[in-house]
Amino acid sequence: MALTFAATPRSAAPAGHRRPQSGRRALSRHLTGWAFAGPATLIVVGLSLFPAVWAFFISRAKWNGIAPATQVGWQNYQRLAGDPDMAAAAQHTLLLTALFVPASIVIGILVAIALNQKIRLIGFYRTCIFVPYVASAAATGILAGFVFNPQFGAANEILRNLGIPAQQFLESPGQAMYIICIIALWGEIGFTAVIYLAALQDIPKELIEAARTDGASPWRIFLHVTLPELRPVTVFTAIWQTITALQLFDLIYTTTRGGPLNSTQTVVYYIYELAFQTQRLGYGAAAAYLLFAVTLLLSALVIWYGRRRGTEAF
Amino acid sequence: MTTTLRRGRLILGGLSATLLLLSACMGGTTDDGKDDAAGYDPNAKVELTWWTGQTSEAQKVAEGLATEYTKLHPNVTIKAAPGAPTVDDLLTKLSAGFAGGSYPDISYAFGNWAGDLGASGKTQDLTSYVQEPSFGWNDMPPAAREVATSKGKVIGVPALVDNLAVIYNKKMFDEAGLPYPKDDWTWEDFRATAKKLTNPAKNQYGTAYSVSGSEDTTWHLWPLLWQNGGEILDGTKPTFNSDAGVKALETLRQIAVDDKSMYLDQTDEKYGPLFNSGRVGMMISGPWSLLDLKTAKLDYDVALLPGTNGDHTTVSGPDLWVLFDHSDANRAGATREFAKWLTSAETDAKWNLAVGNLPLRTTEKDTPAFKKYTEEYKGGQKFFDNLANAKKARPTVAGYEVLSRNVGDAIAQVLQGKATAKEALDAAAKKSADAVEE
Repeated sequence: MALTFAATPRSAAPAGHRRPQSGRRALSRHLTGWAFAGPATLIVVGLSLFPAVWAFFISRAKWNGIAPATQVGWQNYQRLAGDPDMAAAAQHTLLLTALFVPASIVIGILVAIALNQKIRLIGFYRTCIFVPYVASAAATGILAGFVFNPQFGAANEILRNLGIPAQQFLESPGQAMYIICIIALWGEIGFTAVIYLAALQDIPKELIEAARTDGASPWRIFLHVTLPELRPVTVFTAIWQTITALQLFDLIYTTTRGGPLNSTQTVVYYIYELAFQTQRLGYGAAAAYLLFAVTLLLSALVIWYGRRRGTEAF
Repeated sequence: MTTTLRRGRLILGGLSATLLLLSACMGGTTDDGKDDAAGYDPNAKVELTWWTGQTSEAQKVAEGLATEYTKLHPNVTIKAAPGAPTVDDLLTKLSAGFAGGSYPDISYAFGNWAGDLGASGKTQDLTSYVQEPSFGWNDMPPAAREVATSKGKVIGVPALVDNLAVIYNKKMFDEAGLPYPKDDWTWEDFRATAKKLTNPAKNQYGTAYSVSGSEDTTWHLWPLLWQNGGEILDGTKPTFNSDAGVKALETLRQIAVDDKSMYLDQTDEKYGPLFNSGRVGMMISGPWSLLDLKTAKLDYDVALLPGTNGDHTTVSGPDLWVLFDHSDANRAGATREFAKWLTSAETDAKWNLAVGNLPLRTTEKDTPAFKKYTEEYKGGQKFFDNLANAKKARPTVAGYEVLSRNVGDAIAQVLQGKATAKEALDAAAKKSADAVEE
């Protein structure tokens, strides 16, 4: 039943044979084009670009959303540099990223290899791994709140059966960030696993067969054939997961709200707190722009590094 | 070439249009110094919008009141809407409404928003109106009147008054063989009692405190600060880190850290249910807890806050009806008349007392409605009497929310043994200094 209207390259008339078009036809062609692109462009400009530009102007003002704004120039940005809460939030974000990105890549590869086996019910297992990714992070957070509840949660029940003393988990400043990371991994592994599964199935069979014929052990095949073939995908997942970690909000909102003792307050959560809890819209917008700049810089660095190594992911 | 130029001009035009729009959105209105209701015609036909901030039951009561008012004044139609799903969201809705020019005539508001709302320039100035003898302004608790006043201007009328007192579980006191708290008890008594009520083996705590760092954490400290002679602000300079403040927080720290007889709640939501299920002996809370306690069928009673040298000052967190100006004298005047009717002793009995809140006016204490309230809600009388101890209000300055957050974090650190009271409060004062600057 599926119909495809996309024109294949062959169906387009060769450029050299085209007669010069009259002005009216060119206009109608333009109009047709904009009729297609227009609505989407309007939505992007109205809902993404305009707020982004507006946010920049807000970031140079002192404004609580109610009283008139005062222009303060770059003062918000200067103050950010000396804000101990911002420094702490940046540290928490770095810790989360440093734990989350490598773990999601390594576990993703392992799960993908396991799901690449030809065994019974493999479709069912693949679905199981992917389901948490489809669930919203807010739902995941609420669910995890029950599991890691210090008094009645399932996690402490398991520890008790193993003879390990009960833990405070999300209510302990020392443990909360690690628990958040585990919950985030549970939700995101499905995504990296599916990406790596596709990449594994793209590796030419001849390469592996040739290596096997040459007498290489499965471990050496993995190390010297599979892993190098996965490199472009790894550049992509590294950037993608870094952005995911930097922007993690809903999970923190539904589990700890930045606590205990602000130990899970990441930069994004701090921005939310500045702008919507304490009504410092200007200062919050400045922090948001700083985060944007850092994310852009990080992505550019990884892409530049990837191109230099000859692997293009983007 | 021409196309590029034209496109450049287009972009420039777009940019300047954007800028104009932005400055319109981020601007405010300045007060013209004229009375908003000057020349008000009481018989003019007007339609008012009322954001009640209420849901379910209370909202139905509000709609009933709106209909009743229209029956009394057929030329005034009142549209009663909740305004937002929770009172918390009302501030965001109001600020969006200011930007878009569609805000209500009268809205529910938390008392600590008064500074920000007053600075919007969109509120009415009721200073002389409430002084009219028929309004009975002085029947309302002083702390509530103070909260309704921002920078010397009355911007609204108290909508709800409350205060903090100690609610205690009588069964736990009996089991520990302890006498019930008397009205002249001290913080030393409170500490000793909490220690005796604590039983780690049975998961029982003497008292509880929220360490989420929110306003719930912060405002429980203010009575202690005031009892010790301290102040939150001196003008715009934070002074809560004075010796009085340090002593106040140290009192709490001893109970939490030295005695371990305080359940520390990382959220604001757990200590109430824990008290209701008999795990916490004494809870510092307000009249809003009475409804849950009634449902939990717990044997409890209410005592005044412990005192320092006989001073039992408590804190009040009044909410407001804020009145807005739409440059229409008839609407402004009609809104004032409605607010006066709504907060009058007769109507308030059908509103606050009916939904389980304390009465707004002292003159209501002899009414049958108040008698019914104290019978239905045990401890209601004590909370009403405690209004006399709510002599001070939280400051109504823009930036109080930032200060509150910093103090909340400081309290959370100290009660969890991560800092001393002096260090934490000094750091919080330093961080809050430029938030409250103007």
